[in-house]
Amino acid sequence: MTHRYIKVGLTAAVLVLAFAGMLWSTLREGTEYYKNIDEVMANTAPWQGKQLQLHGYVVPNSIFVKKETLEYRFKVQNNPARSPEAGNVVDVTYKGIVPDTFKDEAEVVLKGKLSPEGFHTDPNGVMAKCPSKYEAQEKSASAGS
Amino acid sequence: MASLGSALLLATFVVCSYAAVVSVVGARQRSRRLIESGIGAFHLITALMVAASAVMINAFLTGDFSIKYVVHNSDSVQPLFYKITSYWGGLDGSIMFWVFLLSVFGSLAVYVNRERHRELIPYVIATISVVQMFFLYLMVVHKNPFTTYLTNAPADGQGLNPLLQNVYMAIHPPSLYTGFVGMTIPFAFGIAALITGHLDDSWLRAVRRWTMFSWLFLSFGLTLGMIWAYEELGWGGYWAWDPVENAGLLPWFTATAFLHSVMVQERRSMLRVWNVTLVIVTFFLTIFGTFMTRSGVVQSVHAFGDDPILAKLFTGFMVAILVFSFSLVIWRLPLLKARNELDSWLSREAAFLLNNWILLFAALFVLFGTMFPTLSEAITGERLTVAGAFFNKWMAPVGLVLLLLTGVGPLLAWRRSTLKNLADQFLWPVVAGLAAGTLAMLFRIPLWSAGLCFALCGFVVGTITQEFWRGTRVRRKNTGTDFLTALVGLVGRNKRRYGGYIVHVGIVLIFFGFAGNARKLDEQVLLKVGQDAKIGRYTIKNNGIKVGDDGQKQMTTAYLTVSVDGKEIDHLYPARWAYRRHEQEPTTEVAIRRTPAEDLYAVLGGFDLADQSATLQLVVNPLVNWIWIGFGVMALGTGIALLPERSFAFAVSKLPAEAAAASTTVALLLILLVSGAAPVSAQPGMGGAEDTRSSYYARTPFEKQMQHEIVCTCGACGHQTLAECRKDNCSTSHQMRGELAAMIDQGKNHDEIIQAFMAKYGGEEMLGAPVDKGFNRLAWLFPYLIGAASAVVVGFVAVKWTRKMEPETANAAPIDAALDERIDDELRDLD
Repeated sequence: MTHRYIKVGLTAAVLVLAFAGMLWSTLREGTEYYKNIDEVMANTAPWQGKQLQLHGYVVPNSIFVKKETLEYRFKVQNNPARSPEAGNVVDVTYKGIVPDTFKDEAEVVLKGKLSPEGFHTDPNGVMAKCPSKYEAQEKSASAGS
Repeated sequence: MASLGSALLLATFVVCSYAAVVSVVGARQRSRRLIESGIGAFHLITALMVAASAVMINAFLTGDFSIKYVVHNSDSVQPLFYKITSYWGGLDGSIMFWVFLLSVFGSLAVYVNRERHRELIPYVIATISVVQMFFLYLMVVHKNPFTTYLTNAPADGQGLNPLLQNVYMAIHPPSLYTGFVGMTIPFAFGIAALITGHLDDSWLRAVRRWTMFSWLFLSFGLTLGMIWAYEELGWGGYWAWDPVENAGLLPWFTATAFLHSVMVQERRSMLRVWNVTLVIVTFFLTIFGTFMTRSGVVQSVHAFGDDPILAKLFTGFMVAILVFSFSLVIWRLPLLKARNELDSWLSREAAFLLNNWILLFAALFVLFGTMFPTLSEAITGERLTVAGAFFNKWMAPVGLVLLLLTGVGPLLAWRRSTLKNLADQFLWPVVAGLAAGTLAMLFRIPLWSAGLCFALCGFVVGTITQEFWRGTRVRRKNTGTDFLTALVGLVGRNKRRYGGYIVHVGIVLIFFGFAGNARKLDEQVLLKVGQDAKIGRYTIKNNGIKVGDDGQKQMTTAYLTVSVDGKEIDHLYPARWAYRRHEQEPTTEVAIRRTPAEDLYAVLGGFDLADQSATLQLVVNPLVNWIWIGFGVMALGTGIALLPERSFAFAVSKLPAEAAAASTTVALLLILLVSGAAPVSAQPGMGGAEDTRSSYYARTPFEKQMQHEIVCTCGACGHQTLAECRKDNCSTSHQMRGELAAMIDQGKNHDEIIQAFMAKYGGEEMLGAPVDKGFNRLAWLFPYLIGAASAVVVGFVAVKWTRKMEPETANAAPIDAALDERIDDELRDLD
């Protein structure tokens, strides 16, 4: 009987190890850091080229679209618009369709990579929450499952 | 009214605690009176919840804006239908709706099982009551949907979120909740069985149907969610591994595992601990899913927002469930011992076991991925997220292995398969798989993972066809009937098995649809008026942008033509709608050209009215419709498995004389089915010679469509369509409707009519924006509905007829079924 337990134990160990190894390797490519702008801009060096999800707020009057293209250029700041201090500001580029909620002052999460010139957003990498008035006050539920 | 609602909720809570206590005491003291009282109280809960729901719906219908929940989720201009669905549109109401459903299901389950499982009933009532108490407690102390404004209530509401003003969204949550809530019933029976120690297989029989039923609704809810994401959110896909989607998927995995492993217990008395565990885990995951989407633990576009108090309450409840249930399991371990051991890995029970492990792994993995951001933040302090690609990388192989097992399982014999019968069983399915794989290669589909998926689809279809074919052959030999009757009889004999195979066909179709993703095309373009863009074989041209208004929303519509090889084949009208009071969050109205082979999908991402330019996202989604069709097949299979015992009695008769009568029946039924579905396929454009109607109401769907497409030119109605402009006896619209009817009678098609109207009334002005598609979109459901309805009618008729003709068949059936299955299995072994 002990022989059998050894066999089962070994198989289980191999399976668990293989699983852990695979998980680790895929997690290394698959994960993205979720960061606020201040956290990244305090020291940009370690974040260059890494896959990031950057959280911030669109700087008012900073959105530009190149005429007759879908190329966007805008600035994003760490703190909500109209707060006393803006915090760090990043230049962002993006090409593609933006969500309806993307506009001045909107809270955004951008997926992409940081480079010395600014933040390059992946295709479809702009997620925006709408700067809705009543939700801020009421904290009520607005979207269903 | 609001105070009545609150009082009702409070009363329900009190009755719940009474029902729980009195049932347990009654069961322990074996007091018939107390138990009966508990049952009465349990039904009273349902009555109270119905009353409370009525109060809530009444508040929405009458627009009682003193209630906060009503203000947040509706307004006075909303259509009646959405006023009702607003009930579950927000957090507080959805919890109340949950309790309402649970009380209805609980009453039903107790009523159905009151005789057969008398010893379990008190504990079932106690368990369900405790669950209800938790949710009622949440409402009473924390999230009362009947909370009112203390002073000056607003005059009008804020309106239901526009994204939720959609037919799918109206039926998706109740369907998903039905699935979630339904899983409480098996859990309650499981707990009752553990407490009473009646752990033979009888409690499983009581819950099997419930699990199947809940599983069906869970699947339906998930599918609707996918359709909603596909048609409403407008990003071109249907599944994004969003936490809220995952929350629905988790219990689906474990429930699927349970539905399989329960067969092993029935057949071989193994996996008894495992089955109880799966029931508990499934219930736990439904609560966990609710917790995840409502407490703000994970970030999601769909989630209901932060709520730390709710999170704490839920956590406490979940810990209590786990501790209580698993203590019971450990206490009853001696009673849960397996009576058999696994004989061989080449057996059906081994395949089931493997399937269970993989499903459980899938559930754990999705749970891990969903919780990963929260976990990583808790452990390392860094918030790391995983992208959809990570899930895909892992779940694609998991899905493929499951698909493989779907094909392998039925080919293996119970206990042990010999090499000889392996070769015999696997030959044709493997050939089918290889053929499908080769075909995929010819179409240059990459082997991993789409090519493999196609091959496995072929393999599983091969397996199922072979199962039906061999079973029918055996049955024909035994009964001497024709092929069709034998087939129906075969399904009737073992509805769960063959219904299950039909479910598998649905799964294959769904995977077939998933595999289409490999050839997905996605492009974003900016088109000025008159410009065109190419995607795949299609050329899309922008003909301009129009703005319209229907009182509730402003609609901006792009007019696109689609052509293939220079030939115009279709029009697409993607739009953006801005609802009143929600102008800041316009909804995208996707335009989809559906074909079995692929969908052409257009989203209006942005526009410029000055130069009529449109920013478009164009997507080609191959095979995507097979996912929805696959669900239809799955529902059909589940329906067959759920059918009551007698509905097939006509075809499971054994004597040739009866069989002759039976085959006539089958023929009749088929005629009935076909004729039931026939009106649907009747095409528009039938001509009526004389037309003396005073007002031209649409006679055919086509006429209706045209009336909605053409705008009245009278100038007084504000560009209403011909279908709408009838209130003020507008003579212009009346005349135009008449012209339209005449042209339809002449057999003119869509484009000819449009041309004629444009020639007469000038320009594209008279072209209305494409109709509010809401219900029209569901048109494809009608064949299914009519099919299902006729199936029900057929079932009833069949039962009636059989009873009249040979009342003894029904009694003989169970013995025969067992015999037949044995013959079937032995033949498999010998063949």
